[in-house]
Order: sequence, then C-alpha cells, then structure tokens
Amino acid sequence: MKLLSIVSVGLSRFVRDRFNLFFVFLFPLAIVLLIGIQYGEPPTLTVGVVSAGGEVSDEIIERLKDTDRVEIVLHTDPEEVADEIESGDLDAGVLLPDDLDDAAWEGRPSEVTFLSSPFGVGPQLRSVLDDALARTLAVPTAVGAATERGADPDSARAAAADAAWVLEVVDVETTTTGERIFPEDVTGFDVGASSQLVLFVFLTSLTGAASLIQSRKLGVVTRMLSTPTSLRTIIGGEALTRFFIAALQGVYIMGATVVLFGVNWGDLVATAAILVAFSAVGAAAAMLSGSVFSNDEQAAGIGVIAGLGLAALGGAMLPVELFSDTMLTIARFIPHYWAIDALADVVRRDAGLADVVPQLGILLAFAATIGAIAVWRLRVTLTR
Amino acid sequence: MGDHALEVNNLSRHFGELIAVDGVSLHVEAGETYGLLGPNGAGKSTAISMIAGLLESHGGTIRIEGEPMTTRTTAVRSRLGLVPQDLAIYPDLTARENLRFFASLYGMGTKSAKARIDEVLEVIGLSDRADDRADEFSGGMKRRLNIGIGLLHHPRLLILDEPTVGVDPQSRNAILESVEHLASEGMSVLYTTHYMEEAERLCDRIGIIDHGRLMAEGTRRELVASLGNQDRVSITATGPLADAAEAFAALDGVAEATTSEDTITLLTGDATRVVARAVETADAHGLTVASVEITQPDLEAVFLHLTGRALRD
Repeated sequence: MKLLSIVSVGLSRFVRDRFNLFFVFLFPLAIVLLIGIQYGEPPTLTVGVVSAGGEVSDEIIERLKDTDRVEIVLHTDPEEVADEIESGDLDAGVLLPDDLDDAAWEGRPSEVTFLSSPFGVGPQLRSVLDDALARTLAVPTAVGAATERGADPDSARAAAADAAWVLEVVDVETTTTGERIFPEDVTGFDVGASSQLVLFVFLTSLTGAASLIQSRKLGVVTRMLSTPTSLRTIIGGEALTRFFIAALQGVYIMGATVVLFGVNWGDLVATAAILVAFSAVGAAAAMLSGSVFSNDEQAAGIGVIAGLGLAALGGAMLPVELFSDTMLTIARFIPHYWAIDALADVVRRDAGLADVVPQLGILLAFAATIGAIAVWRLRVTLTR
Repeated sequence: MGDHALEVNNLSRHFGELIAVDGVSLHVEAGETYGLLGPNGAGKSTAISMIAGLLESHGGTIRIEGEPMTTRTTAVRSRLGLVPQDLAIYPDLTARENLRFFASLYGMGTKSAKARIDEVLEVIGLSDRADDRADEFSGGMKRRLNIGIGLLHHPRLLILDEPTVGVDPQSRNAILESVEHLASEGMSVLYTTHYMEEAERLCDRIGIIDHGRLMAEGTRRELVASLGNQDRVSITATGPLADAAEAFAALDGVAEATTSEDTITLLTGDATRVVARAVETADAHGLTVASVEITQPDLEAVFLHLTGRALRD
C-alpha cells in the first residue's frame, strides 16, 4: 500500500509536468515519423504523358501505369509538361506522337520523346519507358514487317497475337548477394520505431530522475523516512516509479506507432519482455542519476547528453550493421545495443521469447548492477 | 527509564572534525512542551534529525515512550510527528494530496485518513484551499501545511524544528496558536527555536543549547533564577572602555562587568542602585556615554550569561 502510494504520487507528478508530456508523448512520435520518412518506402514518381490516343498509345500508358510507384498524369500540351518538370511537379514526361499507332502498324519509324530533369530520379524512368515501348510495339512492328513482305494483314495480326505471350514471360529478375540489412517487409518505420523506443525509454528514464532529486532537495524523501515506512519501501517505490515511467514511454511508442504508422513489433510477448528488461535498466540508471546528482538541472542536462550518447554508441541512431568492428566492440558494453539487437531479432527475423533470452539476461544483469550501485548510493545519501 | 514521551541520553554526533552534538541529555514528559533554544548552528537540527531517526548518532541513546529509536527502527516512528525546518511538501500537489500521501505512509486507512485530513485542514486553516496546489500558497500557508502533515496520525510526540523561520508575523502567530492548541490537548511537543519569545510563550521547560552542548535546562523561572535575579545595565559609550572595565567591576552591587566594542554590560541585583554610579564612573574615566539601557533578566540574558554571546549572534 505504501509502495503503491509512492508510485502513484511519483507518476502523478510526472504526468502533471508539461515538459515531460511533450518529451514523452509528442517528441518521440515526431522523431519516428521523421526517421520513418527518411528510411521509409521509396517515393512515387509522377510522369506526365501527352498522347492523342489510339490502341498502341493507350497500351503504352497502361504499361507505365502498371509500374510500381509510377503515377501517370495525362497532359495535352508538351510545353506544360516541360514546365512542370522544371518546376519539380513532375519527375519525367513522355510525349507520344499523334501518328504512333499508324506508324507502328505500318512498320514506319516514329519518335517518342522522353523528358526529365538531369537531377533526381527522373532519368531512371527512361528504362521503364523503354520496356513499355518494347513490349507494346513488338506486335504491331512484327505485323507491319510481315505485311510489308506480303503477308495477309489479318493472318499476320492473328499470328503475332498468338505469339505475344512470349513478351510477358521474358522478364529481367534482379537479385542481390549477401544478407539484407532490413528484410523487404520491414519498413523504415519498423526500424525507426525500434531504435527510437530504446532511445526514448532510456532518455525519459533519465529525465525522470529529476523528480527524484527534487524530492530529495525538497526534503520529502527524508520526511518519508520519519514515517513508519522502511528505507527499502521508499527506495523500492521510487525505483518502481522510474520503471513505470520507462515502461509507459515504451508502451506509448509501441501503441502509437502501430496505430499511426502500422509498425510491426513482431512477437508481442518477446517485445514486451524486452521492454520490461530495458525499462528496468532505465529505472536503475534513473535511480543512479537521482542519487548522484545534487540538482535536477544538472541531472537533466547530463541525462540528455548521456541518453543521446549511449543511444548513439548502442546503435539507436545508426544501425549497428553499419558500425566498424571497434564501434561494435564498444556497443556491446552499452545496454541499448542488446535491446536493439533483441528487437531486431523479433521485428526483422520473427524471433520469439526463447530466441532473445540471452539479450534479456544481459539487460537484466545491467539493471541489477546499475540498480545495486544506485540503491547503495541512495542509502548513503539519505542516512548519512 | 519510565514512560517519558522522549528520553535522550548523552547523544553525540560529529561531522568530520566538527562536533555538532556533544553529549546532549534531555527528556520530554508526556503532555509537556519542551523548547530547545539556541542560535543557528547550535546543533538543534542535528539533534532533531537523530531523535527522529533520520541521522545516525555517534553515541548515546534515544527512547520514545520507552522504545529505542535509531535509523533502523520503523514501528516507533508512528508515535512521532516531525515538522522539519525546511518545507517538506510537494509543491505540485494540492494540500489534500500532500496530506493523503503522508497519511498513507503513516499507514492510515483510506476512510480514516479522509476524515482526519479534513480535521487537520481545519486545524491548520486550509480547508478552503485544500484542493489548491501548494505552490500557489503563501509562505505561511505552506508552513501550516508542513505542520499539518506532522499532525495527521495523532502523534504522541510532535517535533517542530524552527517552524516559524521566514514566516510573516500573522502566520507566525497562527502557527504558535496551533502549537498552543495541540499542547492544550495533551500532545507532547519538542520545539526548537532561536526566538527567545517563542520559547517563553510556548514551552513548559527549556533547554539552552550552544556548540552542540546543552548548557542548562529548566522552566523559564528556574533559568532566570539561575542568574541570581540579575538585572543588566548596558552602557554604550566612546572612550577607553577597556581601561574602565576594572572600575565598573569594583562598583558596589555589580556582580560582573563585561566590555565589547562600544558597550559595557553590568550584571547587578538592582539596576536602579547601580546606574547613577556607573554613569559617574564612566565620566570619571573619560568615557562619553551615548546611552544607558536597563534590562530585566530573560532567556536572552540567560543565554548571554551561559555562552557569552547573544542568541542572534
């Protein structure tokens, strides 16, 4: 009961602080959004097409439309297309000539114009257009050539149509060697949310240490000791408060990113276990900060630096897969690394609770070690 | 031993080389208000911290109603209400929330706590501000809330450590009235202060503490009587005061003459008999008298007598 009272008051004070609300509820989502966009899905490319219509032209447009992440916008004025490419509204433009259909069926040359800015991804669309033209023009060109050599136009069309399936089965398959850093079904939001969860759970914990220091400075903790409440209960209550603050931060990021960005957190039991273990690390660090520093401004300032520094070293800012060997060795001494490693297993590699037991053990060892130092320090501070 | 509300024997504590409390022994009878009077830095708060079990002592024993009190004992604390010198409240909680929190730490049930909180709010005069945050309160209101927390669980012994420091006169009076009210209801009170008038007004017995040592204790009457009913004549003058000191001490009826920078203080059984001859002596020794002040003995005089310095030095 006394323990719960301490926790309840601690959480209540934390939630009432508007500064905390911003950093717990708004800031993390903004960062997840930013990173998700940065490392998220490729952008959709917009292509302006000028066409007079016709069977061949329409088929080319349909093929372009079927290309992933290409949006077709029909225009009537070629100059307008050029202007919009220059202004950045369009990534590229395709000008199909008015006589394209006739020329194709008659086997005459014709000129399709491709427009793009020299910058950005526009030039890459050229290959998409080439593919669409090749596949579309193959049949009319074959018919035109056969007719020119005396074949019956109707028979030539029928024969070409029968053979057209060949065009659809011939495809270029792109493969890469080596393991992907992020599997194909893992989005930038998935990756960003995992690392931001680790970063913010720890950062919020350290920020929460300020309220412990305030309580000490205000003399409330000492006064609590004058009541029939044991030191163990008081320290336990304070530690549990920091734990719940850390866990609340984690649960919030998980829930909000699922709802807003459709983030996949993998096996929820495993993810919850990682969150619990890492929250324990955060709570222990907060208790240590709260017992070592003598004023909350000092703790908040150093807490932010330490939180961001450890996050960077532990791989919460840059994927550890991109770390050098030396950095990787250093990262293994940072609890963040083990939390991110466990989350990567669960989110990217479909791992379950049993698979992340080693990382959980290491995180709990971190929590126990830091927590023991914090409790010793707090005891000394409160009873010397 | 017996059943004193508080019994302290030979209590000691040092911080490095500094001896903060040096063999203090005192007791507070049940229903008694005991004042610990001394200047800032005399060792009052250190003694209180040890009595409340917040600070390890380096010697001596503390018993509350016969039960030993140390930093490791817990149960006996339910008999104790502590009002620390510095405000120990959460400024971002309301008065009621602060009281509710500490009520739970004193192990009070939800229902009994609710009723008691309303009573305490009434006693400390904050009923109409119960649901306002403490950081919106005036200094005096915060002080009263600070006191209210110590009263929540009907303690047998209430310890107030300089509860009126930094408080406006009106709030100060309200606090003193509250303490008088609690004492009249039979609560034992240990009250530390460096305000002589507070000790005189509130306390049944007073202990005078300085440099960590209890110099004397007794009722106000007993302490003053220990001076031999001496009046004090303070002559402020310019000139060779030190040279004249011997002549003042030799005056008939003067028990003691002490000189400071510009004042000679004479202790005498009857100031009216001495003052005229003292002025003559001053004149004879070439002193130019600026003022003569006669004071009847009080606790300030007792303190001066015992320590050689004023309470507010």
